[in-house]
Amino acid sequence: MDWVKGTFGTSIGKKQLMAVTGLGFIGFLTGHLLGNLTIYLGPESFNSYAEHLHALGPLVNMAEVGLLLFATVHISTGLLLFYQNYKARPVKYVGKKWAGGRTIFSATMPYTGVLILVFLIIHLKTFHFVDHDNQTISQIASNVFSSVGYVVFYTLSMVVVAFHVKHGFWSAFQTFGANHVKYMPAIFVLSAICAVVAGIGFGFLPVVSRLVL
Amino acid sequence: MTKKINLTLKVWRQKGAAHKGALETYSAQQISTDMSFLEMLDLVNEDLTLSGKEPIAFDHDCREGICGMCGAMVNGRAHGPEKGTTLCQLHMRHFSDGDTIMIEPWRAMAFKVVKDLVVDRSAFDKIIAAGGYVSVNTGGAPDANNIPVYAEDAELAMDAAQCIGCGACVASCPNASAMLFTSAKVSQLALLPQGKVEADKRVLSMLRCMDELGFGNCSNERECEAECPKEINITNIARMNRGFLKAALFSRHK
Amino acid sequence: MQLDSKAPGGPIETKWDRHRQDLKLVNPANKRKFDIIVVGSGLAGASAAASLAELGYNVKCFCIQDSPRRAHSIAAQGGINAAKNYPNDGDSVFRLFYDTVKGGDFRAREANVYRLAMCSNSIIDQCAAQGVPFAREYGGGLANRSFGGAQVSRTFYARGQTGQQLLLGAYSALMRQVSVGKVEMLPRREMLDLVLVNGKSRGIIVRNLITGEMERHAAHAVVLCTGGYGNAYYLSTNAMACNVTAAWRCHKRGALFANPCFTQIHPTCIPVHGTYQSKLTLMSESLRNDGRVWVPKKADDRRKPDQIPESERDYYLERKYPSFGNLVPRDVASRNAKAMCDEGKGVGSTQLAVYLDFAEAIKRDGEDVIRKKYGNLFAMYEKITAENPYKTPMMIYPAIHYAMGGLWVDYNLMSNLEGLFVLGEANFSDHGANRLGASALMQGLADGYFVIPYTMGGYLGGAGLDSVDTNHPAFAEVENECKERVNKLLSIKGSRTVDDIHRELGLCMWDNCGMARNDAGLTKALNTIPKLRDEFWQNITVPGDQGDFNQSLEKAGRVADFLEFSELLAKDALDRRESCGGHFNEAFQTEENEALRDDENCCYAAAWEFTGVGKEPVLHKEPLTFENVHLTQRSYK
Ligand SMILES: Cc1cc2nc3c(=O)[nH]c(=O)nc-3n(C[C@H](O)[C@H](O)[C@H](O)COP(=O)(O)OP(=O)(O)OC[C@H]3O[C@@H](n4cnc5c(N)ncnc54)[C@H](O)[C@@H]3O)c2cc1C
Ligand code: SF4
Ligand code: FES
Repeated sequence: MDWVKGTFGTSIGKKQLMAVTGLGFIGFLTGHLLGNLTIYLGPESFNSYAEHLHALGPLVNMAEVGLLLFATVHISTGLLLFYQNYKARPVKYVGKKWAGGRTIFSATMPYTGVLILVFLIIHLKTFHFVDHDNQTISQIASNVFSSVGYVVFYTLSMVVVAFHVKHGFWSAFQTFGANHVKYMPAIFVLSAICAVVAGIGFGFLPVVSRLVL
Repeated sequence: MTKKINLTLKVWRQKGAAHKGALETYSAQQISTDMSFLEMLDLVNEDLTLSGKEPIAFDHDCREGICGMCGAMVNGRAHGPEKGTTLCQLHMRHFSDGDTIMIEPWRAMAFKVVKDLVVDRSAFDKIIAAGGYVSVNTGGAPDANNIPVYAEDAELAMDAAQCIGCGACVASCPNASAMLFTSAKVSQLALLPQGKVEADKRVLSMLRCMDELGFGNCSNERECEAECPKEINITNIARMNRGFLKAALFSRHK
Repeated sequence: MQLDSKAPGGPIETKWDRHRQDLKLVNPANKRKFDIIVVGSGLAGASAAASLAELGYNVKCFCIQDSPRRAHSIAAQGGINAAKNYPNDGDSVFRLFYDTVKGGDFRAREANVYRLAMCSNSIIDQCAAQGVPFAREYGGGLANRSFGGAQVSRTFYARGQTGQQLLLGAYSALMRQVSVGKVEMLPRREMLDLVLVNGKSRGIIVRNLITGEMERHAAHAVVLCTGGYGNAYYLSTNAMACNVTAAWRCHKRGALFANPCFTQIHPTCIPVHGTYQSKLTLMSESLRNDGRVWVPKKADDRRKPDQIPESERDYYLERKYPSFGNLVPRDVASRNAKAMCDEGKGVGSTQLAVYLDFAEAIKRDGEDVIRKKYGNLFAMYEKITAENPYKTPMMIYPAIHYAMGGLWVDYNLMSNLEGLFVLGEANFSDHGANRLGASALMQGLADGYFVIPYTMGGYLGGAGLDSVDTNHPAFAEVENECKERVNKLLSIKGSRTVDDIHRELGLCMWDNCGMARNDAGLTKALNTIPKLRDEFWQNITVPGDQGDFNQSLEKAGRVADFLEFSELLAKDALDRRESCGGHFNEAFQTEENEALRDDENCCYAAAWEFTGVGKEPVLHKEPLTFENVHLTQRSYK
């Protein structure tokens, strides 16, 4: 099994793990967002979406295990990379300026990552690990979003997600080696679109649910 | 127009790898704006020498931007603020009278300070020794025109081959990663039919060597590309990533 | 001392093959019993070290820089010659040989030059196989361009960075041998002396430039590939660390130094603009294909170039050499620029420059075409001078560029000291009195890849060397001398810096032993240099100490050697009673101001023997005979 270590233990291997799992999450977010958009159609649609989803039974559980696995890999590898990169420059510069390659999105990746983790834990606690038998999903949502503080927290978290996606998306392609003169500009644009869609799509959910639910 | 300017320098002084270093302040008087940055340092060093102090140690040789020997952080930028320029080709006309200039050595775990602004870049040689070559002995090479090379590929290979091994990519990378340097050599050889034969083995061993030497991991920050004096492009990193994926998953090399 | 070139007789085409046949061989299993020291990692050193290691010898390779990849060869721009005849324009090994001998003004050894031309094709094959990204035609074949001194297109190139790419190729071969343990690479080491045991070269003393420690290294043979001595002139196109130290110390141990006065001055360099200047930058010779050289007709005309009307400009090269025009050889172009400036017609703030004007070419071909051809050079020019050569003419002036002279070697590239081989620019062998463009790279690689692997075997196979290690008293003795010298340099504590003295030496050399020489100037230099040397040893100050990374100390050691060497250079120049190639003594010129050779009396290589600092060296002459080319007077009218 040396080659496994020699593959996924290397710097590129780790980055490619990050890329696979990251793109996986973007796929998940897309599905999640599409589902959540049913909110706009009112509580019935939203509830029926949730019921249909849960009717899939074991499939959902499998997806959950998969997501958990992805999350574990993405988070632990991310932390490892962060630590290694920190260690790679033991003496820091007294003055360092960026030359224009780095963006606010790329520079904040580890931090936005951690914030997303915090959000995720709270999000799971408020939406997933709650009593689903006696209340519908729209009731849960309208309860949770009744708190203004939570709405603000949620919306800001979605901005953080957008930041993370903005760099993560194109970066994943680069990491797989899919950087081509013809397609890279499009990937950059797509990256921005994904970020904006995720940010706005999810970001407005609390507001919408306060209005609709 | 040639002018004379006066500057304040804050220069990192460090006696050796085992010593602690600190910034020291010097004044550089009557600097002609036609001077190169290194000539300005020469002048400061002449003054230091005559006043019985040790001059500032810095690496340099060709002073034409090709040997890759020079390099330092100037006001927080690798090789100073000009794009596509090595420190020896940076001229003082890009500074103004009264400026304060901070000069620090490259900093990375894999580049220990030797003295003042001089660092040890032998890690780069190790990366090349790990596979940055075509395994061909002297003699017995076929006629050079026997293997045609598509002109465009030769051009791309040349783009990558221009790397001067200066280390600015590592120095400017937020993660002190050597991906741009390593990928430049991997790319050059992967693009040419002569180098393709060993491409799989090469990318695996060069990458593993790079990792072992304590460089950081690339996170696609693109600072390397922005600071590289030879403007080497991160498509080379992509090519290396691709080559790695193929070699690691599909070749028979472990 | 009888100088035996060891060049075999018989027809020139088969000399090398027959010689190789006669050389002794070392059987493969025995090669690993031999240790070889290679000093230098430029084209010559890296190629030699890699090739010898591939054969099975144990090689130690040394260089001054922090990595072998940074040797000065990296700076070569233009290209490398080979007689491939890919363009089908009539090139051949013989033609390359002929052009090189003629370009060298008939002062090189025929047999060596022919071998060089023979090896040239294998070099291209070897480099292409290593992955050197040579310029290509669209069909995938190698591209060629033309260079000075030849009527065929035989120069292979990799953009304007041919030296870099060739060196990186040789470096990669070297690093491959490092990775398999056949080469031990020792960078940041400066060779300070040669160790002879029973008259044979058996080792070297180096200073570890990081720790300051003196190190002893023993071997069965020493291969010197330490480059040229152009920095004797202080300002040159050479890299800052280029030095004569290694060669000079070998000379002091008995190796003959040949033709030191053959120095090449390149006509198109960016002019000096201030006393602080540390080096000069070359602008490729190719610029003269489209640029027109001119100065104002009136002396001391301080108008801007665009204010000087056509009728008041003197396109002096076109005027004096109507058939070659701006494309006369390097030495002719250089001397004429100097003559113009001597007449007060020089331009720029120092009046030591002439214009190289592209206005007409831009008008004719358009800026885009010019940009395609010379864009990188124009950009480099603008970076350094802050002037836009598309708008205003470039200013250029000649500068010291290359050393044809070097340690004397025989056909095996071995000096008169047994076991000391000298390769690349450090030897004197192939370029005579003037080197053609794109042939130094060729020579360095021919020596390293294709000559030394054979001749080394020939030497080791028959030398009957006993084992010697660094405990031999000879090592201790030489090491002590090195230490004493270093301590002496540090103890002077005078009031002048090393650079200051070096600058003065350079000026003296440039003024008196530069482009055009005369007996009065050379005599003056011979008076000045010893005084300057005394001043150096009494009045320099070298800060820091020995056991440390100390760049001032490194520099001091090198300048100390230049101060001894320069005297020999001037002496050689005064002694040669003719003009030839890069050596132009005003007393010997044709009516057309061309170099006037004296083939009757001066057809020899001057090999000097050291007798002591400040003492008269002894001259040994190696007569040069030309059986395959006809000696002619060069004319470019
Ligand atoms: C600007 C420029 C452009 C040129 N362009 C061309 C061109 O287009 N075509 C062409 O054919 N030629 C060209 N030349 C000439 C050519 O580059 C050189 O002659 C050639 O590269 C010399 O190679 P070398 O291996 O002999 O020495 P170098 O490359 O000079 O290498 C010398 C080596 O010796 C080491 N060394 C020196 N002294 C010591 C010591 N005391 N101890 C230990 N190590 C030592 C150095 O560290 C270095 O590794 C050019 C030269 C210059 C200056
Ligand atoms: S990739 Fe660029 S910055 Fe990095 S070593 Fe090479 S030339 Fe320097
Ligand atoms: S000194 Fe050679 S690149 Fe700057």
